[in-house]
Amino acid sequence: MRRIMFTTLAVLLAVVAVAVAKDKTYGKGVSEGEFTKVSAILGSPDDFVGETVRVEGTAVGVCSHRGCWLELSSDVEGESIRIKVEDGVIVFPKEIIGETVRVEGVFKANSPEVAEKKCDRTKPGDEPVACTTTYEVTGVGAVVVGK
Amino acid sequence: MSTFRKVCRWLHRELGFLAVGLTLVYAISGIAVNHVHHWDPNHSAEVETWSIEAPGPGPTADVEPLVLERLALGEPVKSTWRDTPTVLQVFTEDGTVEVELTTGAVTRTRNHRRPLLYDMNFMHLNTGKAPWTGIADAYAAVLIILAVSGVFLVKGRRGLAGRGGVLMALGVLLPVVYGVLARG
Repeated sequence: MRRIMFTTLAVLLAVVAVAVAKDKTYGKGVSEGEFTKVSAILGSPDDFVGETVRVEGTAVGVCSHRGCWLELSSDVEGESIRIKVEDGVIVFPKEIIGETVRVEGVFKANSPEVAEKKCDRTKPGDEPVACTTTYEVTGVGAVVVGK
Repeated sequence: MSTFRKVCRWLHRELGFLAVGLTLVYAISGIAVNHVHHWDPNHSAEVETWSIEAPGPGPTADVEPLVLERLALGEPVKSTWRDTPTVLQVFTEDGTVEVELTTGAVTRTRNHRRPLLYDMNFMHLNTGKAPWTGIADAYAAVLIILAVSGVFLVKGRRGLAGRGGVLMALGVLLPVVYGVLARG
C-alpha cells in the first residue's frame, strides 16, 4: 500500500512539474506565413479590418493584473498596436515585457459607437475624450522569439 | 451502519485527506484573484527613483547608448522603447527603467513574484493548461464525491432529515437566488 501511495505521489509531482514548466507559446501559437509590418497596418487600417494578420514587435506593455492584452511596438518609433486576447484563454505574464513577440490574430476596428459609450462614462469635470475608431488585433496565438 | 453509509464515510475520509492541499490552493488563490481590481495577486512592485545627467530628447540611436551608459545597470538589458519623444524605457529581466530624457529623472519598477501566491494563482487560473487541466478536472470530481458522500455521513436529527438538510437547502438556495437576481 505504501509503495502504491509513494508511486502515485511521485507521478503526481512529475505531472505538476511539467505543468509549471514555462511555455513560451501562447494559445494556438503562430502559423507559417508572411509577417505584416505594424506600420503598414496602422498606415491604412481599413484595408486590414477582418483580415488575419501576423505581426512581430517588442512587448512594451501588458495588462498588469489579468494579462489579457499586450502592447506590441511597431517598426516605426512611437507606434504600437494593442493585442487583445480572450480572458483566461491566453494570459500574458509581466515578464514578457521587453521580449520580441510574434502574434497571430484578426485585425479589428472598434467602431465610434463603442467609443462613444466609453465617452459617456466620463465623470463630470473630466477632460472630454475624443471618440475615434480604435484598432486592435484579436490575438489567437503568440510566440516569444528566441525562447 | 449500512454498507452504503460505510462506503460514504470511507470515501469522504480518504478523499478528504487527499483534497486538503488542492482545496487550500484553490481557496487561497480564489480570495486573491477575486480582488484583482484592487491589487496584483501575482506580483509586488518595488519602485526606486534617482536621476542621471539628462541626455536630452535627441534621436533614439544617439540617446539610447548615453542612457544605458549613465544608468550603469550592470545587468542584461532585454530591449528599449521610446515611449514618447521625451521618455525612453529600458526593459530588464525584473521590470522597467523609465528615463525622462529632458530632466534625467529615472523611475525603476521591479516586479517580484509573490511567493507561493504566484504559483497558486498559476494553478487556479490554469495558466499552464494541459496537463493541469486533467488534474483540476480530477480534483473537481473529488469535490463532487466529497459533497455527495458528505450528505449521507450522519442520519437522524443532525443529518439530512434535520439540521443537515436545512443547512444544505440554504447552501443550495444561496447560489440559485443569486443566479436569478444577478441575471435580472
